[in-house]
Amino acid sequence: MPTFTFPISRIEGHAQVVIEVQRGKVISARFQATEMRGFSYFVQGTPAEQMPVIVPRICGVCSTAHHVCSVKTLEDIFGVTPPPLARKIRELLLLGQIIQNQATSLFIFTMPDRLGVESIFQVDEKERKLSESSGIALKSLQVRKAGSDLITLAGGQFIHPVKAIIGGVTSGILSEPASKMKEQIDAILPIACDLFDHYWELSITMGEKIGSWGDDEPAHYITAVNDECPNFDSDDICIQEPDGNHCERFSAHQLFDKLEMETTDYSYAGESSYKGQVLRANSLARINMTKKMGTPRADEYLARFRSAFGKPAHAIMLFDLARGIELVYALERSAELLTEKLDGAELDVPYQPCDGEGYGLVEAPRGPLIHHYLVEKGLIKKADFIIPTVHNMRAISRALIVAARRYVDEDSVNMELERAVGRVVRAFDPCIACATH
Amino acid sequence: MTKFAVLQLSGCAGCEVSLLNANEWIDRYKLVYMPLVISAYDVPKVDILLVSGGVRTDEDLYNLRKAARNAGQVVAVGTCAISGGVANLGNRDEVRMLFLSQNERMHVPRLLPRSRPIDAIVSVDRYLPGCPPTSELFMAMLFQTPDFKPGKSICIECGRIKDKTVRPKHLYGFQKGKVEPGLCLINQGYLCVGSSTRGGCRAPCTRAGHPCVGCRGPSDAFIEKESTEWLASIQKVFEVMTDIPKEEISKSLISPQLALFLFQFSDYSGEGRPPRSKEKVL
Repeated sequence: MPTFTFPISRIEGHAQVVIEVQRGKVISARFQATEMRGFSYFVQGTPAEQMPVIVPRICGVCSTAHHVCSVKTLEDIFGVTPPPLARKIRELLLLGQIIQNQATSLFIFTMPDRLGVESIFQVDEKERKLSESSGIALKSLQVRKAGSDLITLAGGQFIHPVKAIIGGVTSGILSEPASKMKEQIDAILPIACDLFDHYWELSITMGEKIGSWGDDEPAHYITAVNDECPNFDSDDICIQEPDGNHCERFSAHQLFDKLEMETTDYSYAGESSYKGQVLRANSLARINMTKKMGTPRADEYLARFRSAFGKPAHAIMLFDLARGIELVYALERSAELLTEKLDGAELDVPYQPCDGEGYGLVEAPRGPLIHHYLVEKGLIKKADFIIPTVHNMRAISRALIVAARRYVDEDSVNMELERAVGRVVRAFDPCIACATH
Repeated sequence: MTKFAVLQLSGCAGCEVSLLNANEWIDRYKLVYMPLVISAYDVPKVDILLVSGGVRTDEDLYNLRKAARNAGQVVAVGTCAISGGVANLGNRDEVRMLFLSQNERMHVPRLLPRSRPIDAIVSVDRYLPGCPPTSELFMAMLFQTPDFKPGKSICIECGRIKDKTVRPKHLYGFQKGKVEPGLCLINQGYLCVGSSTRGGCRAPCTRAGHPCVGCRGPSDAFIEKESTEWLASIQKVFEVMTDIPKEEISKSLISPQLALFLFQFSDYSGEGRPPRSKEKVL
């Protein structure tokens, strides 16, 4: 029985796909997370107030989501409500993350699949195609940088933020750096739109070659962005039926009652399901559920997306296009927020630490992120991190089987399979450091 | 053109993200291996090998040994590769017992008994500490910029003013109460360890109002010494600058919880290794 193992690059963390074939038939396709550090174990015994500084280190890509989520969990335990100004700064922080992440996923992780290169950083003057990608490399890094700079401004540290604290934030944003940041974002927006237009075009041109436009079944979608427009500092979780008509809404406290969580012996990451059904999180879930984006250019892209692909849309490659709409939204929305007053006396409210149990929720780039802590005598007794990528694990495996069957028959294996496997996994933009933590 | 590679062991990819925050390298050096952004399966022969993350699985061990053989220079990047970082908290025996037993898997790389810094496995030419190092530090290290002069400690780079007349009576811990803009965080009673932490990062955390947690590790004055001396110097700073009772400071500093917290960044002399010489550390 031949087994194919494909290490997956251009995703966050260490993972591989293993496909088993018997007599020309694909028996199984597994997405395996191959690393683990043990955060939920080794944070036991740390003082609760240190969590917002420790947990961003679960992942350098999703650090701001963990930072804010951790603070919200402790606020849930201590019964604190942060002032509106603090929430605004936290929203900016989460938007910075969306800009950085979606730009990275689109232009650094998945653009090479559309250009037929191994990386956008391959520079070879002899080949026109590759020097084209070098231009893309510099522009992509510029767009990413707007996100990183926004994270630094709103979060203090540039990768593992420190500014969100229990009850609020340590400091505001003065008007001068805010307007400088806005200028930078205004200048980046057209560059980002150009890159995205190019990306959209290339995706369509690839068409069936991608092998995943029409593949795979509809699925349930899960997100914590369920307002009129996206707000990543969210309060509730929402699960949408595959037909797009029915939604179940619940709070983070009810999570363990609503979802099934399982571990497997072939991966350090767990996987979740909803009433035994495959779930999908990440950009497509949000785009399928939001009424509108609420900013002009992002709404134009959304209208174009919906008229081309419908609502809800299910094709796997649409995760990528949905990410582009969110990149544009996050740039526009943060430019709006940066014109508002972001400094003042009302940065935080006092609180009294106490023991107890609590949940925190934010919408991270990859979907709803939940932290759950039990605090005893001021120390962490138990900590659970429910990671968005875990909701996508079954969806990834299911899509991999569909893709594999396309390229494997009784006589041969088309080695386009290797590229197809990479494209399927990357569409879900999994984060392995988070998923295993 | 100088070729470099980035080998990511078990870590958070924060170091890689910080490297991608810079773009000065694109035209100057050729990046030939970095799975986060390039599809390539083996580390080719390179002039500079940057290694981030700790050695946590047997796969990490294998990849590190194999890559180091083909590298002109090995640079340990970030706290995990240098002193274990946050993941090192999992090396405590009671934690190890729990999670190693509960996380046995059949078909994935095996977890090693403990997480190790990379110089426990291969010889390292240079060190770039930080959780993560800033992009400016990355560039200074890659290009060995001669005019890059890091401050001796975070205090030099912090920009907050020390005020001798403001002497707190109690320790706040890390994050409680209002942060006064512009005033030294120790004057405000925060447990800031910037006074003996290595400079070079431009102190983004303290500038934003959060005490330094020491992620750059000890400054040159302490890097070749036992970590107890580092802690003793922090204690001395608080005795001189505040009216916080001596017992309260030492209790806070040697409490298992704080030790645990600082340990993630400060274990420069663990496992009986000889200290890293300051000449090798940026």
